[in-house]
Amino acid sequence: MSIYLDNSATTRVCPQAVEAMADCMRNEFYNPSALYAPALHAQQRMRACRDAILKAVHAPMGAKALFVSGGTEADNLVIFGRAAKVRSGKVLFSAGEHPAVKEACQVCGLEPVEMPYDHRGIVDLEKLSGLLSSDVTLVCCMQVNNETGAIQPLKEISLLIKEKASYAHFHVDGVQGFLRVPFDMTACGADTYALSGHKIHGPKGIGALVMGPRVQLNPRQVGGGQEGQLRSGTENTPGIAGLLAAIEAFPRENNIRENKLLLWRLIQEAVPEAAVNGPAPASDVSAPHILNVSLPPVRSETMLHALEGEGVYVGMGSACSSFKQRVSPVLKAMNTPQKYAETALRFSLSPENTAEEMRETVAVIQRQYAVLSKFQRR
Amino acid sequence: MRKLLMVRYGEIYLKGLNRPYFLKALVKRVKEAAKPFGGQVWLHDARIFISDAQDLEGCMARVSKVFGVHSIAPAIEMEKDNFEGICEQANELMQGLTGTFKVEARRADKHYFLTSPQINMQVGEYVLMRNEDHLKVDVRKPEHILSIEIRDQAYLYCTVYPAVGGMPVGTGGKAALLLSGGIDSPVAGYMIAKRGVQLVAVHYHSFPYTSEFAKQKVLDLAKILSEYCCGLKVYVVPFTDIQMQIHEKCPEDYTTLIMRRYMMRIAERIAQKEEAMALITGESIGQVASQTMEALITTNEVVKTMPVYRPLIGFDKIDIMEYARKIGTYETSILPYEDCCTVFTPRHPATKPKIALIEKGESQLDQETLIQTAIENAEIVEL
Repeated sequence: MSIYLDNSATTRVCPQAVEAMADCMRNEFYNPSALYAPALHAQQRMRACRDAILKAVHAPMGAKALFVSGGTEADNLVIFGRAAKVRSGKVLFSAGEHPAVKEACQVCGLEPVEMPYDHRGIVDLEKLSGLLSSDVTLVCCMQVNNETGAIQPLKEISLLIKEKASYAHFHVDGVQGFLRVPFDMTACGADTYALSGHKIHGPKGIGALVMGPRVQLNPRQVGGGQEGQLRSGTENTPGIAGLLAAIEAFPRENNIRENKLLLWRLIQEAVPEAAVNGPAPASDVSAPHILNVSLPPVRSETMLHALEGEGVYVGMGSACSSFKQRVSPVLKAMNTPQKYAETALRFSLSPENTAEEMRETVAVIQRQYAVLSKFQRR
Repeated sequence: MRKLLMVRYGEIYLKGLNRPYFLKALVKRVKEAAKPFGGQVWLHDARIFISDAQDLEGCMARVSKVFGVHSIAPAIEMEKDNFEGICEQANELMQGLTGTFKVEARRADKHYFLTSPQINMQVGEYVLMRNEDHLKVDVRKPEHILSIEIRDQAYLYCTVYPAVGGMPVGTGGKAALLLSGGIDSPVAGYMIAKRGVQLVAVHYHSFPYTSEFAKQKVLDLAKILSEYCCGLKVYVVPFTDIQMQIHEKCPEDYTTLIMRRYMMRIAERIAQKEEAMALITGESIGQVASQTMEALITTNEVVKTMPVYRPLIGFDKIDIMEYARKIGTYETSILPYEDCCTVFTPRHPATKPKIALIEKGESQLDQETLIQTAIENAEIVEL
């Protein structure tokens, strides 16, 4: 038995994407910049993928989708590209941003300022309002927090920016939200939106940056001038083919939320001490696919490995940083008590998961918890 | 004429009538090391020669890790009667070098038509005349020494690479190493293995309190050691049950010491099974609570049938780290997937333990069953 509940770390590539990539590598391997007819097919496939992305995020007229290697590159391109353009001012980022955003903001040359979270892990709009001023040139906020699943109030943030820092560029990191949480870039008023293929059953190594019509950035990588001079390098056509197939195959109607709520209900029944980190799972500010739960007193790593021993794979915080720090900075930003912060596990679901898997998972949790909870540091 | 490696041995020189025994073992180890490179190995005239290796540099790197090897020189073997040829070859070897040099001839063949000083002078002159712009002779403190050995053939070399030294593995018996994922135990194992001792490693694994990554890290360390030790058998002993029972039934301050005692007991059993004659640990006085003199008495006394060697006992941590860097285990040892078993770590471990309290705690445990079960369920990995 193997149950994969770490879909926020990465997902299994769907068969449609595998097929599309294999076909691209076998038959449509041409360089899209070449001048003969087969290269045109490669270009058409790229255009189809751009269109699918723009449609999926309801991008405004004149917006462009730029192919990059993934979420990190997309975020870096915006932050460094914007910093190089404006050269001064403040960059605001939410306290629980992924390191791809946080680290970039801290070294991009602009003055970094953190936007605090409330106890649910959602940007505190009142405090944000106090931080916004005309010298803010860039604001970065994730659509969905990767650890807690908290959906951020992007529209409200955007309105505040328009009101108090109209010159600022608003970047949304949509890596955890893309396709799983509806996003309307036009209505929201974001300037750029980053997404990644491997979080939606596409391949690793491909992502995109959606850029609003008036956005200006400096490139981070120069060379052949691909992607409108912003991202030189021969396009990753198999990755793009895989991304397109994954976007088309992702079931817009699915049971992710039902399964998450079932999982949470069963966990509560099995382990009364369990507590959610982040917004209430059933609320509309909780993403359908992420459930962050503490099972005190069993430490995250111990429970993670115990579940692993029975073939259930879950995450603890962000997989990219699991080996680095003990307590997650996201939970810290939410002022989560130590007892819960060091026992937090992240269950992240995909449309592939079933209700039966939720039941089996909780049976394993119950069994392991019964043994492990007896052993606490005295 | 051909290129080969000339391997010199160190301490074996000091052996008397036993020398053939040690040499045979060394040649066997050098053969094993050179085998993947297709090298031919033979012993002749107090030197081990390796010829025909496909990748001379790679072969040299591998052989330089064989305990018992003192140094290695990439050499050129040629007809000794063609002295003009020797001079030309010497000239070729020295052409790329700058600074001071001298020629150092050694004549194992005493019937050779030139004496060593004559060879030195004539070859030296030949080389100097042709490289006067960038080479000078200095017989006291030369930067380069061109060695010429006249044996059945002539051998020329100008760079000698130091190797690890020590004694060939297998000539010093066998011992069981308690191998954790830390910095110390691989170094302790290395030091004893260097004295010719064959190792078998014992590692305690506490899943789910330690992860597969942590286990793999230990196997990676064992793999590095195995290159020196000519292979290494690792027992991965499941230890979670024992830790849980100790946590449940024994006084808190003593849990670490009782755990260490169990580790020693299990290692002793495995050592007996493997016909090993000693245990090796990476302990150093006072490094942690379980390594005070008082604590060491309590962990030492459970081993009844063999000595426990602690080669790092008087080392500072910083010196051990330096040693670990030298043997190439440091970078792996400091990888972060370490234990999440702080659950089992007492807040105030006993540093001056009372044996009566330990024994009282242990009397709550079914020692024989715990040890037997752990050994029966051990996973054996051959590296």
